Amino acid sequence: MKFFNQHKQVSLIIEETLLKKISQIGIEKYPYETGGFLVGYYSDDSMTLYITDYLLPHKQKGMAYLFERSIDGMKQVFKNLFDRQKHFYIGEWHTHPNGSCMYSSTDLNAMIEIANCETVNITNPVLLILSITEKQVKDFTFSIYNNKGLHPYE
Amino acid sequence: MDISKHDYLEKVLESHKMKHVSDFVSKHKTKRDEIKSELQSNYTGKIYVPINSGSYAKHTAINIKFDLDIIVPFKRDAFETLEEMFDSVYDFLYEKYKDKATVRKQKVSIGLEFYPDEDGEVINLDIVPGRELNQDKYLEDKKLNLYVNTLYGVLKEKTYIQTNIQAQIDHITAKENERKKIRLLKAWKHHNRETYKSFLLELLVIKAFDQANIDGNLWEKLKKTMEYIQNNVNQEGFTLKDPGNSGNNVIDTLNTNERQKLSDTMKRIIENIEANDDNIKIYFPINEKFEETDTQRGYGIKTASASVSIPPNNTRFGL
Ligand SMILES: [Zn+2]
Repeated sequence: MKFFNQHKQVSLIIEETLLKKISQIGIEKYPYETGGFLVGYYSDDSMTLYITDYLLPHKQKGMAYLFERSIDGMKQVFKNLFDRQKHFYIGEWHTHPNGSCMYSSTDLNAMIEIANCETVNITNPVLLILSITEKQVKDFTFSIYNNKGLHPYE
Repeated sequence: MDISKHDYLEKVLESHKMKHVSDFVSKHKTKRDEIKSELQSNYTGKIYVPINSGSYAKHTAINIKFDLDIIVPFKRDAFETLEEMFDSVYDFLYEKYKDKATVRKQKVSIGLEFYPDEDGEVINLDIVPGRELNQDKYLEDKKLNLYVNTLYGVLKEKTYIQTNIQAQIDHITAKENERKKIRLLKAWKHHNRETYKSFLLELLVIKAFDQANIDGNLWEKLKKTMEYIQNNVNQEGFTLKDPGNSGNNVIDTLNTNERQKLSDTMKRIIENIEANDDNIKIYFPINEKFEETDTQRGYGIKTASASVSIPPNNTRFGL
């Protein structure tokens, strides 16, 4: 599946099966929020992002309106991924149980913190939000973070 | 408004810069140089080196509606009368360019509007013939008499004006502070379809800087300039001396009603912007064609090449 972001003139490509797997995890955790990391790589011209996989945090707290993920034990996972495949951390995903796929101010602040983080090498992390119910994903949105704002893909 | 009025006005200026139309400008320059050398070879012995004038030479040009002006100084004895000079230059240009351009007599100049080129662009040149005031004195005093084509002129009783184009150019040279306000007021004039002459606005801004205490950031300076215009342009005895001819009071090109209207307009602009910052966008719009977005295309990385990223710990997301 291919998405386009007008603001940065960039594309995002993700396999539908990967998106389905992520959706399944979200539904299983319903009515609690859950989420994790997205990994992938950029094309040589930096205009296309290929999302190749997701990673689940080893530790997380999921509540109905809040999701907090830890990176405990994840550092080596990210390093191995880069050493073996040259794939790296490119963003985040989480669910909004019974909510819309519009990002919250908490989400935006999290993305600002991520982009400003010294150990993060990317300046435009993406955020995937899945709006879910007990049985299904109602909707989902990819957004790109840039300069204190989140801009959705179409 | 999400940015300061100062930063916004900087964006307005940036979007009106000539560098965005540099190809268009060089086309003009090529044509201008061609015409200059044709005039020089046709009038050998009767002519001085033509000079570049107009807003581009004065660095007050904005990239909307652009033309180049050429002043063509002739020797005193080259023609019996100014009218003869004007007609001779017109006839010469007409014969040379009638198949490539619309050639027409204007108030003090001959306008050449070339037919659209392969890029659909139209080159506009204004050629202003002038005759030195005193035989063989032009190089020294730069004084010229221009023929006024009364059909178009407002100065019905006069058929010539004395001027010093070089002094007009020098008047504004090296005054970047003033030039910024001039470009902003020209952008206002253009986008709001005001009919004030650019030359008038130029002189008003320069006088404001000369007479009033104009300081602060870009918005504060623009506001103080407009306040000066508001408070003075409608006053009896207000003068705007033409640097090219001290006997010429340029404010006389407006009648009393028009002067009051200009004052009221300045007042209204200032009040509306002070009431709501966003109104600045109505009066001083960004030229959207060349709006600079700070957004760089593509995904960014902080180092030269991709590397491992470890996101921050205990990051919270909400609903
Ligand atoms: Zn959220």
